[in-house]
Amino acid sequence: MTSTDVRLEPPPRQPLPGGPPRRSSWHARANAVVLVWLALALAAAALGDPLALPRWLPVHLLLLGAVTNAAVTWSEHFAVALLRLPPPRPRWSGLRLAVLNTGVTAVLAGAVGGVPAVAVGGAVLVVGVAVGHTAVLAVRSRSALHGRFSYLARWYICSGAALAVGAALGAVLVSGSLPQVWQERLLAAHVHANLLGWVGLAVLGTLFTLWPTVLRTRIVEGTSAWARRSLPLAAVGLVGAVGALTAGIRWAAVVGLALYAAAAVLALVPLLRTARQRRPHSGASWTVAAGTGWFAIILAADVAVVATHPAHAVADALGTLLPPVLVGFVGQVLLGSLMFLLPVVLGGGPATVKRGTALVERWWLPRLIAVNAAVPLTVLPVPPWAETSAWALLLAGLTVSVALLAAAFLRSRGLTWHTPSPAVVGTALGAALSAVAIGVAGSGLGPATETEPVAATGGTRTVEVSLGNMTIDPGVVSVDIGEELVLRVRNDDVQAHDLYLDNGARTPMLDPGQSAVLEVGVVTGPMEGWCTVMGHRAAGMDMRVETGEGSDAGTDSAADGSVSGAESAHLDLSGEMSPDWRPYDAVLEPAPGGTEHEVEIRVEETELEVAPGVRQSMWTFNGSVPGPVLRGRVGDVFTVTFVNDGTMGHGIDFHAGSLAPDEPMRTIRPGERLTYRFRAEMAGAWLYHCSTAPMLQHLGNGMYGAVVVDPPDLEPVDREYLLVQGELYLGEPGGAEQVARMDAGEPDAWVFNGTAAGYDHAPLEAAAGERVRIWAVAAGPTSGTSLHVVGARFDTVYKEGAYRLRPGDDGGAQALDLAPAQGGFVETVFPEPGTYPFVDHDFRHGENGAHGLFEVTE
Amino acid sequence: MLTIWTVVRFLHVLGAALWVGGQLTVSLVVLPLARRGLDAERRGSVLTAIGRRFGLLTVAFFLPVQIGTGIALAWRRGVTWESLLVPGYGRILAAKLALFAVVMLAAALHGAASSRGYPVLARVMAVTSLVTSVGVVALATALPVT
Repeated sequence: MTSTDVRLEPPPRQPLPGGPPRRSSWHARANAVVLVWLALALAAAALGDPLALPRWLPVHLLLLGAVTNAAVTWSEHFAVALLRLPPPRPRWSGLRLAVLNTGVTAVLAGAVGGVPAVAVGGAVLVVGVAVGHTAVLAVRSRSALHGRFSYLARWYICSGAALAVGAALGAVLVSGSLPQVWQERLLAAHVHANLLGWVGLAVLGTLFTLWPTVLRTRIVEGTSAWARRSLPLAAVGLVGAVGALTAGIRWAAVVGLALYAAAAVLALVPLLRTARQRRPHSGASWTVAAGTGWFAIILAADVAVVATHPAHAVADALGTLLPPVLVGFVGQVLLGSLMFLLPVVLGGGPATVKRGTALVERWWLPRLIAVNAAVPLTVLPVPPWAETSAWALLLAGLTVSVALLAAAFLRSRGLTWHTPSPAVVGTALGAALSAVAIGVAGSGLGPATETEPVAATGGTRTVEVSLGNMTIDPGVVSVDIGEELVLRVRNDDVQAHDLYLDNGARTPMLDPGQSAVLEVGVVTGPMEGWCTVMGHRAAGMDMRVETGEGSDAGTDSAADGSVSGAESAHLDLSGEMSPDWRPYDAVLEPAPGGTEHEVEIRVEETELEVAPGVRQSMWTFNGSVPGPVLRGRVGDVFTVTFVNDGTMGHGIDFHAGSLAPDEPMRTIRPGERLTYRFRAEMAGAWLYHCSTAPMLQHLGNGMYGAVVVDPPDLEPVDREYLLVQGELYLGEPGGAEQVARMDAGEPDAWVFNGTAAGYDHAPLEAAAGERVRIWAVAAGPTSGTSLHVVGARFDTVYKEGAYRLRPGDDGGAQALDLAPAQGGFVETVFPEPGTYPFVDHDFRHGENGAHGLFEVTE
Repeated sequence: MLTIWTVVRFLHVLGAALWVGGQLTVSLVVLPLARRGLDAERRGSVLTAIGRRFGLLTVAFFLPVQIGTGIALAWRRGVTWESLLVPGYGRILAAKLALFAVVMLAAALHGAASSRGYPVLARVMAVTSLVTSVGVVALATALPVT
């Protein structure tokens, strides 16, 4: 075979009587679409942060918008030109372009707007175009399959098939219907199918002929043989890699990628030989060469990443390679090709083509150096200023390239560029500088502070938010209007997430284990929040901030004072407590002097405010939930006079005593009384409760309290509090509906000292540096507690009669765990002033009422 | 409430109003009239004189007042170098200061270019400085609400 001279001329024009050169104009328009997508991608990359755009948006604007359009247009163009096919009907080309761009727009809009259905619909359109385009190429090129360039059609067919697979995977991803581990694997497969398949195969296939053309030399001997030999290897490798990544088989993925890389090396052989024949000399040729070089580097890095990461972590690990992939490889190949091809398709005779080429190649060397020097700086560990400068350099270089291409296009349409007046230049410069400054000023600032002034209540609500497993926990945060909301966001997942709230506040992208404090600002109304990683919102990573007025049930039900069980499940814990509500005093008084204690406990049926605005009829000891606290020392004798002022039989059971239950724990009828006498021989935080069956109902309706018997060596502390945790079942006490939920263990809320979130509204006090002892008893009836103070550690843990930890020990404790009917205390010293929430760290309980605050002052 | 700080803030705002307003007046009122009504020679001398006077006022009055009152106001509000990076008030203030530095640079370039005979660059810089100082005012108006 001899060397072949190939020239890519504008495609044959159709002899349309009286019409303009249709195909040329068609290609120019198709390339204008590519330029528009490129410009959008650059704008999204530059403005992404100030405008809080998702990070994948510029990626997809480039790859799905610009590259897909370019690949569809140019693969058809080359197939037609080189295989000498009859040109396709303009109507088909136009329809394909319209459907493709509608699909791309729908994918982006649906994914940004969090409407998976729209995104999936768009992806289906893209798959449709890919399949249609590939099928048409396959059918039409059959006649040419024995020609000199027949390999080209095969490369394009494989590339189109890869797009169909990649886009279909994208559709599944954006629908968010998969478990997380599958989501991550499919993401890795999606990335590889599209980048190595759709883009990589199209680029390599095209370069066999485009590269010699750009170098203005002959195709070297044996090119088509190399092209034929390498494609099956690449296709097999890619299918293996994509399949293995989906299935999570690491070694198979590595083998597949190695095959693909070997195929790429084979394909590079004729390209290198061509370059030896004639060295790159123009901006287009050097840019394409640089892009191809980055492709080789990326392939090597990709093999290394896949070899060292499990499939579900591959996509995340590849994130750092984005700049070399997008700019180094894809961007440069695309821009380099366009620098050569655009003036050609814009047509107008050799002189015009030359003029166009001169325009698009202007300053090519500085642009080439800027881009290729900046790309490594965006990846390597360099100081932040260097990275920022590199990005600025990168964006500037690319913007100039796109602007020059656009200028060439506009010039061919008869629009020429006049030197603008100094006033226009100055205004543009000033406006751009101001826009940049305003962008910087607005970054990280939630517009909540700029909207109509809402009287800030001065209160701050701090909520711990956990990201992971495709959920944001809690999914709903209730805040009063005017309250300032601070979210302590922690990524508890194995992949990166962020949290964006629709007032513009956002966290940076958080790596696994990282945390960030998100100052949402003063809440003026309900808000939505979500993770901006592609597909994660659709997969369920969203949350809602509800305001007092926005949420319903709790406040409404308070209006008539009665609550009917199941409908009241959504208590508005952030609402206001009634003005006459008094919190149960959590301050624990020291044990009174003397060794004999007498106390009278009366059963009363009392209506209490058990959650903000929610009143509920409770069965109580002395009118409160929990009942009165008994405190003494080891050996003290308690004499309890128990009086039943209720309407049914009740009894009482003190865990702190040891006696035969028959008589003292018997049930007495209304109006009766009994004396219950016990000696507290053992220290601890003890439960007492009603002893009448069914005890589930009696405890569930509030009949419990605490006995605190000090250990003999108990040191005095600055403050002591007692928290008795219980459950709240709304509805008619003892009614069938309420009892059913008790049996199922489904309380409406969890309470500390009888009120859900009561100590959010009446915080407990302490001062920084003071030693605070928190006694706790888990009254149940069905759930225990894992008592935790956010921001504090316990240096003392005493539980069920023994110290687990004392000051001076090496360790520390984070939670006091108590099963139902257990008790103990913990001690802590608050390091600094602030608001320290205390919760049951079983967050079903914590977020549904077992929550309060310590206000720690100077 | 009227305090000494009211006076400081008044001077700060007054200085900005005079400087930006002065530039706007020169660009929108004086220049068009001069171009229409004066022959080239007199126009040159008048505009040069206006530019000199404005530059003198800038250096002698505007800059000291703005920087002095600005530092005082920042001190009163407890602004520190670290707080300049915090989203919200700090970052807006930092952006405003940076933009103000750009304005001063453009104004200085304008002065240098006009005295050395680069009319196009001088004009570009004059307009840049004017438009950018409007940007500074825009950022300043965003400050109190944060």
